Amino acid sequence: MNLPTLAFLAAILAYPVIYAGYLSVHKVGLAQLRRGEFPFTGWENYGRVLEDPLFWVAIKNTLIFTAITVVSEVVIAVAIALLINQAGVWTSRVTRFLILLPYAIPPICNGLIWSFMYSFQFGFLNRLLFSAGVIDQPINWAGNPDTALYAVTVPYIWRTLPFAIILVHAALQGIPRELYEQAAIDGANAWHRFRQITLPMLQQIIAIILILRTAFAFAVFEEILAITQGGPGDATWVAAWYSYKISFSPPNNFGMGAASAFILALMIAAIALVYLRAVYRRVTL
Amino acid sequence: MTDDLIKRALRRRTVLGGAASLGLMGPMDAFGQAGGPWSQPPKSKVDRLNFVVWTYGDIYARISKQFEADWGVKIDSTISSFNDHPTKLATMYAAGEKIDVSQSSPFSFPNFVAQGLVEPLDDLPGAKDYANDFTPFTKQVAMVNGKLMGLPYFATAWVWNYYSDMLEKLKIDKPFTTYEEFIEHCVKAKKDGVSRYPVLWVAGVGLEQLPGTWYQMTWNRGGTFFDKQGNHMLGPGSVARETLKWWANTFEKGLDIADPESLKVQFTTSAKAFGAGKNLYRGPNHHYGLNVANDPAQSPIAGKVKVMGSPGNGKTIADAHVYFLCTANRNKEWAWKLLQYLGGKTKDGQYTQAIGLAKDAMLGSGYQSVMQSDVIKTGWAPWGDVPEILKIWDKSAYIAEVCSSIYQPWHFPWTDQLNIEVQKCLTGQISADVCCDNLIKGIADAKRKV
Repeated sequence: MNLPTLAFLAAILAYPVIYAGYLSVHKVGLAQLRRGEFPFTGWENYGRVLEDPLFWVAIKNTLIFTAITVVSEVVIAVAIALLINQAGVWTSRVTRFLILLPYAIPPICNGLIWSFMYSFQFGFLNRLLFSAGVIDQPINWAGNPDTALYAVTVPYIWRTLPFAIILVHAALQGIPRELYEQAAIDGANAWHRFRQITLPMLQQIIAIILILRTAFAFAVFEEILAITQGGPGDATWVAAWYSYKISFSPPNNFGMGAASAFILALMIAAIALVYLRAVYRRVTL
Repeated sequence: MTDDLIKRALRRRTVLGGAASLGLMGPMDAFGQAGGPWSQPPKSKVDRLNFVVWTYGDIYARISKQFEADWGVKIDSTISSFNDHPTKLATMYAAGEKIDVSQSSPFSFPNFVAQGLVEPLDDLPGAKDYANDFTPFTKQVAMVNGKLMGLPYFATAWVWNYYSDMLEKLKIDKPFTTYEEFIEHCVKAKKDGVSRYPVLWVAGVGLEQLPGTWYQMTWNRGGTFFDKQGNHMLGPGSVARETLKWWANTFEKGLDIADPESLKVQFTTSAKAFGAGKNLYRGPNHHYGLNVANDPAQSPIAGKVKVMGSPGNGKTIADAHVYFLCTANRNKEWAWKLLQYLGGKTKDGQYTQAIGLAKDAMLGSGYQSVMQSDVIKTGWAPWGDVPEILKIWDKSAYIAEVCSSIYQPWHFPWTDQLNIEVQKCLTGQISADVCCDNLIKGIADAKRKV
């Protein structure tokens, strides 16, 4: 029974990773891909990536992006899930549909929508803030190096938040009501009930969300492509954008692109291990 | 094609045919010679052909239909956006797919040639005649190491635009003729409350957008980015560096006269944004933006966007994009036939595609005979002052004269850095000196990435 599963996983998951590893130690351009002959280069591609200052800028931006989006998602998801889990709060089907809707939007479309919203002179966001009297001059959200990276986190959080809400909401429904009733009898207020009952019971699911969302946020690409294309300057160059540009812009250095992607994969794996050791195992023991 | 044009072409064809038989004319003309190699059917047979191109209106649907009607061969097309095209082509090529014809910007072309995607055309029937009709800068793109590697898609020259009503409102008689006047006009427009951001630059990330704007202004002031030996010309006191200092000063941290959207817009989007009527000047960039800014369907200020040349002696830059026969073709004879439909002559001996692009999209042609024909004069007239544009055209040099690294494989990674560093400079994060110093260092880094 295990063998077919292993074979399937190897074909679907392991093969691309191993192939990327293989490409990363070879010279791979268009001509080599066409001919199927890849001269071995050893660690040369890794050396080139690691000594490229732009790669480190991309890693720094990726870490900032990941930290902001993952923390925001967890906090907002818990808040919304708690709200819609309240017995006294009635949510219509339309509301539930709207909460889930962003997750159904293709990432590139999401990026384009927000690109229009962020437009400096003609964007909806500036118009809204201007009409509400919040601003008196338009703000260059995606075109200012000080705000651009934060600007792209918002569409990303908006799109991926429903995933976290669903998981947290499902976990909340699994918490026995009796625990809250007993706590109320003992005089615990809402905050204490949340601290002593809800949060501990949510730790496992939060750990899972942290692992998954961190892995996905590390690989953010579509919103960057649609909204800023890495700019202004290098303000929004992230790791996946770096790999893409190295691989798919002439001179199409797929070997170096694969090396950068492989380094990124190793970083994600390392962070996942840290999460597993520091968070997940602790909460499951 | 309109009936009127066909009638005119037929009349010219009759005259030209007679003249040619008398030995009075050379072989090339924009209009009709039905008896050339373009009208001969290939000896081999194919069921279908394909091309991989970037999108532009419905030109590819139309030309495919015509090819199918003329030769009975179906055309499959793979069409992506301009920015995605190199990626699409690269992945198809790498995956071993058949590609008969594709296209390239002048920046990608040397790379495609170096990587073996491009088939030389010299020995193909009629190829030399096409090359003889190329404009000078089309030759610089399409001829690589003395070999003919492509046929022209379109050509363009960098021009300035201004919004005439706004100039009138400012009580300024004529647009600027020096960079000092340019600053004066913009500062006045801002001070008088006529325009918050008087100039819209094309400074979005790209190969010819932000870099092209810097190249053009550097060239216009008498500078280049590299000398004939390939040494950089970005050092202290260089024209390129001083131009960048001047340019950066128009942004927020300086005079604050540049529209912040400048850093995002590409050619067409900048023309659309300019059409909103909020800026006084736009430029310098591709001439055909006028067909957006002066199109009543797309621009509230249509008809009021005027074209003008650059300060001083008016020197500007130009480039040409090309179609090429891919080495991954399924049948060279037929692929050549298809290539001619896109970048050369159709069965009837006309430059159908080049003529259509001039009339529909205000694009210039890589063929001298088309550029000198009435097609340009009448075709461009609805959108701009044609004699003025052609005057600017005559003062243009191929973009590689300014930045010769476009022939090098490291030009792409270096341009990535150029986009980053210059945007950082324009947004006040680094000075022009630091920017240029970083770009000088970046040349070696870019070479290592290749």
